[in-house]
Amino acid sequence: MDIVHHRFRDLNTIIDHVHGLFDRWNAENRFPPAFPENARYLLRQVVHEWIANLVQHADFHDREPEIHIDIQPNGRNVHCVIEDNSDGFDLNTNLRIREAMLEKLPERGMGLLMMERCTEDLVYYRAHNGHFRLEFSVSADKDPWMDIPF
Amino acid sequence: MNVSTMNFSVEPCTQETVIIRVGKALDFRNAAEFKTVCQEQVRSGVRNFILDFTDTGILDSTGLGSIFSLYRQVSPLEGQVVFASVSRPVQVVVQLTRTYKVFRQFPTVEAAREAVL
Repeated sequence: MDIVHHRFRDLNTIIDHVHGLFDRWNAENRFPPAFPENARYLLRQVVHEWIANLVQHADFHDREPEIHIDIQPNGRNVHCVIEDNSDGFDLNTNLRIREAMLEKLPERGMGLLMMERCTEDLVYYRAHNGHFRLEFSVSADKDPWMDIPF
Repeated sequence: MNVSTMNFSVEPCTQETVIIRVGKALDFRNAAEFKTVCQEQVRSGVRNFILDFTDTGILDSTGLGSIFSLYRQVSPLEGQVVFASVSRPVQVVVQLTRTYKVFRQFPTVEAAREAVL
């Protein structure tokens, strides 16, 4: 699978389109065999959680939303960049707040923590073009788990 | 898949037990609807919920949170929430969150029904 790049503008349909892409890539065996099914589901989960976060919480002001997704497989790893033109936020601070506030059997606040556990080198920063960029890798060699209070 | 047009199907087993067919997705788009459906069932006396994940391709953190919410409602009433026919994508989330420690899992809806009744 070569690097793939997709651009989305409609927040109402982006989730369906993203899952449609993953379905197509799976059907066409686009992921390398070294990146197995479980890792593909984890990658899909992380992308879903981030898009859900953007759809629900991102502030685009009066700008037309623009979200770019780049996926680059590399053996047993997949590197992913998701760029958006929202106002962004401080991901690290939010992660630590959510970690500290996670209640027993939480109803909210698990999404970003789920992303952190599933990924390596997760960063969210303002790029040179003024957009914000989420970058991470998902590794087939990682067996992630979350410490949710039960 | 347009989740906003999907409804959860509820199949009564007994006065206290229902099967909920989760369908293609339980996520931020329909978790509120799932909670409403479950709350209506609890108000009408249902205590045990068998969640059928046969067709479920998406379970996100908000969807899982709505299941936790259901569990918190029925636990004090000595009710149960169990998972049946868990699809591969849902199993990945169950493993990631160690949710198998909270919700018993059964290979089929029938096996879940036998265990709960």
